Amino acid sequence: MQYFLNGLPIGAIYALVALSYSLIYASSGVLNWSQGDMVMLGAYIGFTLFQVMNFGFTSTLLVSMLVVGIVGSIVQYCIVRPLRERQAPPINVVIATLGVAIISRNVALVIWGPDAQNFRSPVSTDPLAFGALSVTAQDILIVVAGIGLMLFLHFFLQRTKEGKALRAVAQDRYAAVLMGVDTGRSDAVAFAASAALGAAAGILVAPVFFVTFNMGAGIGLKGFVAAVIGGLGSIPGAIAGGFLLGILEAVAGGKISSGYRDAITFSVLILVLWLKPSGLFIRKARQKV
Amino acid sequence: MRQLLDSRNKIALFIIAGLILLPLAVTNQYYLHMINLAGIYTLIIIGLNLLTGYTGQVSMGQAGYFAIGTYTAALLMLNIKLSFWLALPAAVLLCAVFGAIIGVPAMKLSGPYLVLATVGFGEIIRLVILNWQPVTKGAAGLTGIPLPQLGTFRIMSEQDFYYLIFACLLLGTYVAHQLARSKIGRTFSAIREDELAAEAMGVPVNHYKIWAFIISAMYAGAAGALYGTFAGVASPDNFTFDDSVGFLCMSVIGGSRTIEGAIIGAFVLTFLSEALRAFQAYRLIIYGVILIFTVIYMPQGLAGIIGVWKNRRNRNDKKIASESGLGES
Repeated sequence: MQYFLNGLPIGAIYALVALSYSLIYASSGVLNWSQGDMVMLGAYIGFTLFQVMNFGFTSTLLVSMLVVGIVGSIVQYCIVRPLRERQAPPINVVIATLGVAIISRNVALVIWGPDAQNFRSPVSTDPLAFGALSVTAQDILIVVAGIGLMLFLHFFLQRTKEGKALRAVAQDRYAAVLMGVDTGRSDAVAFAASAALGAAAGILVAPVFFVTFNMGAGIGLKGFVAAVIGGLGSIPGAIAGGFLLGILEAVAGGKISSGYRDAITFSVLILVLWLKPSGLFIRKARQKV
Repeated sequence: MRQLLDSRNKIALFIIAGLILLPLAVTNQYYLHMINLAGIYTLIIIGLNLLTGYTGQVSMGQAGYFAIGTYTAALLMLNIKLSFWLALPAAVLLCAVFGAIIGVPAMKLSGPYLVLATVGFGEIIRLVILNWQPVTKGAAGLTGIPLPQLGTFRIMSEQDFYYLIFACLLLGTYVAHQLARSKIGRTFSAIREDELAAEAMGVPVNHYKIWAFIISAMYAGAAGALYGTFAGVASPDNFTFDDSVGFLCMSVIGGSRTIEGAIIGAFVLTFLSEALRAFQAYRLIIYGVILIFTVIYMPQGLAGIIGVWKNRRNRNDKKIASESGLGES
């Protein structure tokens, strides 16, 4: 039970990152490897605002999401859009976003230096005991804020014009164009929203881990694993995949072996892919002829 | 036609002769070391090109096979004192087995799912090496990996290794060329272009996909066996996800659909990242920018540019020939 509880906050983080992968993949079919580094940028910008410039936590979260969201749409506009116009093979898009990841990692290294930064928790990281179980206020904050962001995303996709355009493009890009949806705009919105989600995940996770220039690689990869386990492109799948992965990791790390924890995670992943090649929560992969 | 082949062979012979004499010209041991390293990487990239460029199956886990090759050969040489000439084929063989193991679940997958499965494989291998202390020595890694022995002659200097790696590379390139031009190579391309159409034409697609994985794994395994004895040490840090990504970049930047592309990619990126060292902290930023520009403006990689140039020249040659009334005879 304790392991289950330990898995929830990290699961919420994975779910947010998984959502950011799925949102972009569903709307534009792009696999964006720089997603993890948006988490890192979010954490660093948050660190600067919150600790150096003494912003409040909420305004830190919002400003950081805004800044990283703009970075995301710049990546889409300057790098992904030209590749799309040239009908580049998907592997070239993957390499280009890897290039973005390398650049952002090293820009962060130049700006903030190689030392790990300690992000002070806005609440408290002391364990609170509930009978035999213990949680920290930070864990509760992560889960609550994470679920809040997911609800906000849901509202955005269902109720706003931009969100509806995004869903239309995800369903059928060609038909959406015929109906007058500006796909260039909806792609930019998807990248911006994904980057902002990543930034939020970065700020929430920062007090638990240290903030480092290469923290994005690990979180990004785990978020991608969660998205694929749940079914890439599916919003409920990404959320379920994230929590599932967080709990699996906590149990595998606690009960079996901490050294082999990630190896177990990846073995489960390959097993899932072998048995259900398009993830657990997508019914059937459609193959277009 | 025969003349064309002859002239092409002649060019190849000239290049080979030039490369045999190269260590006489390059006296700087450090440069020779970089050339050797790039040569080892080239072997991996040739295998990766057959898998990714020819068959269209992206792998971001080649460092896993590279690691298996290195550790298998090194452990056989260290623990049971096997000679390098037997350890190399053993490493290649084990990699082939792992290629088949990962090829089976991978053949059902495509796109991002396949990418992630191969990433997962690479990470599992690295984590097992890191944690299997009694055998692999964990994070400390293996040291004192023996040198290859040729009769009483011990291959040890950078120059000796140059010839060993060069011979392996020559063989690897020749085999890949023959393979690419054979029925197997054409089937690989057919799978890349349209899997369903190939299946409809009666191509056993899954069978060929698994073979593509096995072949690419064997190339990486051979490269690994060479790397271990060349470097003398091996640790899990040499086989990370970033290394797999680097290999994929070499493949795409060089041009993944040709064998020459593998050679170009491995050498250009190895030397580029060395040349950028002067920029220190900005090195990888520049590297990333170059990567992005290359995939946007040269989608077929550097080899693609040579291909365009060659086509243009051929067309000009034909034009001149037809204008001067020689035409095709």
